[in-house]
Amino acid sequence: MKSGFCLVSRTGCRGLAGYSSTSAVATRSSSGGFFSWLTGEKSSSLPPLDFPLKDVTLAPPLPDYVEPGKTKITTLTNGLKIASETSANPASSIGLYVDSGSIYETPASYGATHLLERMAFKSTTNRSHLRIVREVEAIGGNVIASASREHMSYTYDALKSYVPQMVELLIDCVRNPAFLDWEVSEQVNKVRAEIAECSKNPLELLMEAIHSTGYAGPYGNSLLASESALNSLNSTVLEEFVAENYTASRMVLAASGVDHDKLLEYAEPLLSDLANVSRPSEPKPIYTGGDFRRQGDSGITHFALAFELSGGWVKDKDAMTLTVFQMLMGGGGSFSAGGPGKGMYSRLYLRVLNQHPQIQSFSAFNSIYNHTGLFGIQATTGSDFATNAIDIAVKELIAVATPGEVDQVQLDRAKQSTKAAILMNLESRMVASEDIGKQILTYGERKPIEHFLKAVDEVTAQDIAKTAQKLLSSPLTMASYGDVLHLPSYDAVSSRFHSK
Amino acid sequence: MTIRHLINLTRRTRRPIQAFATSRHSSTAVAAASDASLPSPPPPTAMIYDRLAESVKQKLKKLEDPDHRFLQHNSPHPTLDSHTEILSAPLTRVTTLPNGLRIATESTLASKTATVGVFIDAGSRFESEESNGTAHFLEHMIFKGTERRNARQLEEEIENMGGHLNAYTSREQTTYYAKVMDKNVPNALDILSDILQNSKFEEQRIIRERDVILREMEEVEGQTEEVIFDHLHATAFQYTPLGRTILGPAENIKIIGKEHIQNYISTHYTAPRMVVAASGAVKHEDIVEQVKKLFTKLSTDPTTTSDLVAKEPAIFTGSEIRMLDDDIPLAQFAVAFEGASWTDPDSIALMVMQSMLGSWNKNAGGGKHMGSELAQRVGINEIAESMMAFNTNYKDTGLFGVYAVAKPDCLDDLAYAIMYEVTKLCYRVSEADVIRARNQLKSSLLLHIDGTSPVFEDIGRQLLTYGRRIPYAELFARIDSVDASTVKRVANRFIFDRDVAITAVGPIQGLPDYNWFRRRTYWLRY
Repeated sequence: MKSGFCLVSRTGCRGLAGYSSTSAVATRSSSGGFFSWLTGEKSSSLPPLDFPLKDVTLAPPLPDYVEPGKTKITTLTNGLKIASETSANPASSIGLYVDSGSIYETPASYGATHLLERMAFKSTTNRSHLRIVREVEAIGGNVIASASREHMSYTYDALKSYVPQMVELLIDCVRNPAFLDWEVSEQVNKVRAEIAECSKNPLELLMEAIHSTGYAGPYGNSLLASESALNSLNSTVLEEFVAENYTASRMVLAASGVDHDKLLEYAEPLLSDLANVSRPSEPKPIYTGGDFRRQGDSGITHFALAFELSGGWVKDKDAMTLTVFQMLMGGGGSFSAGGPGKGMYSRLYLRVLNQHPQIQSFSAFNSIYNHTGLFGIQATTGSDFATNAIDIAVKELIAVATPGEVDQVQLDRAKQSTKAAILMNLESRMVASEDIGKQILTYGERKPIEHFLKAVDEVTAQDIAKTAQKLLSSPLTMASYGDVLHLPSYDAVSSRFHSK
Repeated sequence: MTIRHLINLTRRTRRPIQAFATSRHSSTAVAAASDASLPSPPPPTAMIYDRLAESVKQKLKKLEDPDHRFLQHNSPHPTLDSHTEILSAPLTRVTTLPNGLRIATESTLASKTATVGVFIDAGSRFESEESNGTAHFLEHMIFKGTERRNARQLEEEIENMGGHLNAYTSREQTTYYAKVMDKNVPNALDILSDILQNSKFEEQRIIRERDVILREMEEVEGQTEEVIFDHLHATAFQYTPLGRTILGPAENIKIIGKEHIQNYISTHYTAPRMVVAASGAVKHEDIVEQVKKLFTKLSTDPTTTSDLVAKEPAIFTGSEIRMLDDDIPLAQFAVAFEGASWTDPDSIALMVMQSMLGSWNKNAGGGKHMGSELAQRVGINEIAESMMAFNTNYKDTGLFGVYAVAKPDCLDDLAYAIMYEVTKLCYRVSEADVIRARNQLKSSLLLHIDGTSPVFEDIGRQLLTYGRRIPYAELFARIDSVDASTVKRVANRFIFDRDVAITAVGPIQGLPDYNWFRRRTYWLRY
């Protein structure tokens, strides 16, 4: 009985593998065997994969040059914007971006953003969670939600043939969430487990700490829900937060790889009846600086030093200078995979990581928001070297603020890397749709990519020194985790930047 | 209240004969009515439970009248859809040079970046017992300087153009590629040809790199998933070259020198076994011209990998490796059957089956609602932290199975769920599940192509494994030819009463023994 369906000899002559398996297929189709009679199976008679399949109608190939799509934007009467660009890719990515995030939380709704991210694509008033999951699976798409301080993004990535399905499900999930009590409490428990494990990710913890100590007020709100916030979060809080913040004029539906008229045809009827509510004033960033220390495992110390550059994305020239500045400083792990191209000739690599083997990682970071931005250095080192590492970080930051310190070769390299990084990221349709959505939320339009590339080109060594000086004139924010007992005091570090 | 009651009554009687369009009107009417009569506060005698029940009832009421505007296009039932219009892609042009070197490109001239690289039909499987690890060692050494450029010049050249240069080695393939801006493509090709043909392999550099590799080895040993799959190959393909690891044993790394590396290059980096692939802002003719000028020193040895594979075929042996370690909190294990080779027509059916088994983890949005019945079992019973079906192809064989991570007290339930669902593919397969899996497979293959690098990777891999790039339309036709009966037939070929290879690491006393698994590769009922 077994031999009936086991006709392919697995140890046959490999040299003729291509032919032998074709003949095996032929044999199999002539004698199905007892088992195939029993299961009613049909046999495969397809050729092996190295031989083309006959009778396949191939679509005519695309030309090598397909005009890149222009971004088209339509504003509905209620203020909601729908934007899209076409692409040659067979898939499209559609996102609904909301100008809402942890900076809009009040003491009554702390943690709501984090929980909303987890509650995305759960039951709506029109479809159950089961139905949502199965509808997404039926077309093989991917849905992702992510939250940041200033934006919520809900994206759907699937084949172009399914645009109507994508638009409908995406809008339903964002507009009509049901926030069923049992679903909320299930997610609250998951968030609880997640924050209990966050000490395993010291870098995330440090970035959170830099924001919560560096800023007073809205920008200091934690993106990770705290234990105490979780206890008071429930479906009512979420409903109120969504009702207040997910208003038409604060939303953008952005798509990469969709024809604009087609997107409008499906999206407009589902979005045009959203109430037009005038938006409350945007929270203002209040930067104060400060010190955060948390004792963790001994033997290793993570720390970050940061400064503020006011302006943010709204001043796009400054924002691009800061991006080039970050590329220029660079850095990374002392032991990391990957070949050339990860910034091995950036300042922090050449001047710090290659000189001090005790340091495990040392890198520059920036986080830029609409009206503010942070820049700093974060590092991981053995705790006996931590004081020296802080010393090195201070020296590096002061050095780069000295005019004439940055030479043209370093700057050109950083500018070229920034441009290449921008263009390479935009290859991805997911990044493209996010770029459309977030730019429209910030600028009300999508600035062409050439605008940003030109801004990068125009950065000079003086700009870098000036930006660095401006940064260092703001108060220091210092955060550390791990073995923090022997670190120098905040005042000792801070005075070195302001004593000049 | 009475008005609402009346409307409810009429609605209920009208429902069966009502079309969707009219029901929308009635639902808006109900909404208006319920707004008018706000919920009256519960009487003072009501208990707290009554209040809670009242609020839950209010909430559930919202679910009773779905808005049909939002329910027009989606269906939870998977259907067979035609994708002919979206499947047109730029042509993949292939040129074979007289020395056997193939050049394959896909141009998207509108983009400003490009990925160019070399795919080589060589990997750790073509090493000998003593030289195991050379392919990977070479991958490290190749960036360490040529006759024309020393390591520093090479690195600076790439960094100055804002590009990336990278490489990876697997059991059967080696890839070197550069991702750069459009105007730097010629430089990138020049660098690639230089490092592949003129690398110097200085003795002191080899010594320095040896430590890096040994350190990398420690890191890999820390990643349990890598360890599990290395051991899985080691046991499933024991006493054959496919069973060896990519990094090689530490003893080998300590003795591999210049001679081994040069020997490996001259035997395996031959023109007929190489493909130069490019995607993005590249023109086929330009690339061909350049490659003709640059890749001149390659050996033209006509030995193919099929010859090498025929000499030392991979033979699957049912067996297991268990490493008990009670100090780590989670157990991990993989169960695998022998799978299909790259070109086997049934390998597509195995991909569909992998998609049917699916993958699951604690944080996945789908949770217990996923279509895969294995994912449902795992999610509902909470018997694993994560689970993933895998399907790996090689030239003459493959591995098909499930990898899972779980708490130690769940292992027997989890093993049962996995074996039940895998073996069920031989007996009971629903057409809806197959269609869903096919749709998911088709989508995931295309969604993965997002940027120039995935296109480059796809061209290179397919040229080495299939000798051609399969058009998406053909791939989709092959996927669509898999139906429930095909799945059953292929499951009978690969799963029914077949030996399994098992590897497990961690607190695994609770994992059933080998014969238990082997017994569950068939059912005695239908």
